[in-house]
Amino acid sequence: MLKDITFGQYFETRSPIHKADPRVKMVLLILAVVFIFLSQNILSLTLSFLFVMGVALASKVPLKMYFKNLKAILPIIILTTVINMFYGSKESAVLLSLWKLTITYDGLYRAFFMSLRIVLLIVVSSSLTYTTTPNDLTDAIESLLSPLKFIGLKNAVHTLALMMTIALRFIPTLVEEAQKIMNAQKARGADLESGNLKERIKALIPILIPLLISSVRRAYELAEAMECRCYNGGEGKTRMKQLKVSAVDFYLCGFTAVFCTGIILFNIFF
Amino acid sequence: MAILEVQNLTHTYGGNTPFINDAVSNVSFTVEQGEIIGIIGHTGSGKSTLVQHLNGLLKPTDGKIFIEQKNIWDNPKEIRLVRSAVGLVFQYPEYQLFEETVYDDIAFGPKNMGLEGEELDTRVREICKIIGVRDEYLTKSPFDLSGGEKRRVAIAGVMAMNPKIIVFDEPTAGLDPRGREDIIGIIEQYRKATGATVIIISHSMEDMAQITDKLLVLSRGELVMFDKTENVFKNGEKLREIGLNVPIVTRVFNKLKELGVDVPQDVFTVERAVEVLKNLKEGDSNA
Ligand SMILES: Nc1ncnc2c1ncn2[C@@H]1O[C@H](COP(=O)(O)OP(=O)(O)O)[C@@H](O)[C@H]1O
Ligand SMILES: [Mg+2]
Repeated sequence: MLKDITFGQYFETRSPIHKADPRVKMVLLILAVVFIFLSQNILSLTLSFLFVMGVALASKVPLKMYFKNLKAILPIIILTTVINMFYGSKESAVLLSLWKLTITYDGLYRAFFMSLRIVLLIVVSSSLTYTTTPNDLTDAIESLLSPLKFIGLKNAVHTLALMMTIALRFIPTLVEEAQKIMNAQKARGADLESGNLKERIKALIPILIPLLISSVRRAYELAEAMECRCYNGGEGKTRMKQLKVSAVDFYLCGFTAVFCTGIILFNIFF
Repeated sequence: MAILEVQNLTHTYGGNTPFINDAVSNVSFTVEQGEIIGIIGHTGSGKSTLVQHLNGLLKPTDGKIFIEQKNIWDNPKEIRLVRSAVGLVFQYPEYQLFEETVYDDIAFGPKNMGLEGEELDTRVREICKIIGVRDEYLTKSPFDLSGGEKRRVAIAGVMAMNPKIIVFDEPTAGLDPRGREDIIGIIEQYRKATGATVIIISHSMEDMAQITDKLLVLSRGELVMFDKTENVFKNGEKLREIGLNVPIVTRVFNKLKELGVDVPQDVFTVERAVEVLKNLKEGDSNA
């Protein structure tokens, strides 16, 4: 069961989007998210939909994978839809009235808008995580935050990025370790599968404590190994893999620019 | 009477990827009550996978396992009972210690089996006596012990469950020669005191020669040999074929023979070697 957890969802298809610079992808994603939320009317929402579909198809990641992510947040989508249904404007025609709750046409319209927006957000964010390795994402964050060094936070940015890289690197190790410890305690008769909530939480102690201890031990070992290799922070450190902006990034920017302009125009004129 | 019977056991990890290899492939063997069985094989040959089936931690992809003539998967709900009948000491067991005191940690297993009060206390103290964990250690935190002591306590934790079969996965890995001797000593003492059946995985042919009755040789998940330890070690050629070897003393005696010294070829332990060489010397001086 634990081994099913995979962190990062990178899915290699060698599409142009995979080759794009992670920094560009990240900035464009933020832009896209903002503009999807700014979609006020049916036209701009349609445009958002087309944009997101375009990105998803260009990533060559099977649509099935996107649906998998949507399924994970299905409860949130349903909840938003239901809540929004009851919050339509009071002037709108009433569709259905149950006790004190009324569903208006306006409410339905809002609910539809809201849930479609969430779906688009999930799909467009997934298109980043599917096409970018976790390590590239961390590099991108470090690079994007690098202006902070001008306000005296140089080492903080590097440290943050390093922490993220290490965390990502150790997730599979920890999962494996947790699995081993679980097996060992099961072999000693630990019952992890039955009992009420309190008993189950208590049953986790024999797993969490050894896991915590070995994480601390690993952290010390890693720190020592890094010191032995003369690691001394970000000062003067160069990269083996340089991030480079290429033609693909310009096309992506252009595509997104068209989308953003479209949303602005639709919002103003309709 | 066979205490353990494994029939055509096959295990495949991650069943839905296209290029799969069986980690354990069609392995069958029987173990009699009170035997000490050694399992040897290269890293990745499926030793750990095999032994995790014996107490039901892994479910066979194919094949059956019988403990005292009873198929352990007949009633999956009762698999926890199997876990107390077959104790499994994992590799580096010291990493599973978690209680505040050594006493509590050793008591964890028996407690899970439903022991309490007087009975629990007797069980823990009995085990400590058998394997030489002294009383003053019982109130210490397990995390204050040395590496070798931690391992001893962790092993005691499984032994305290009083299993009919106890399995050790590389119990001497990462220890110095002294620590290895200690652990092998503990296993021998425990067996003498309880008469339990013992299965032990090890890369040390010397340890194997010293304590096992029979050896099970695995290579790429398949059972290559299962025979009396001396018969397996007489078959050095076959062991070398799969990248294993006979104990170092045996290699010395093989070489002596090649050089024309008339020595027996069934010398697998240092003690026996000393004996043989003494006899040889006396024979010389008598002549
Ligand atoms: N949890 C697991 N998931 C997938 N494959 C595994 C797992 N554990 C072991 N294997 C694979 O099964 C094979 C046998 O491993 P193992 O039983 O650990 O061998 P040994 O203990 O003899 O070194 C190896 O090829 C190993 O990579
Ligand atoms: Mg192993």
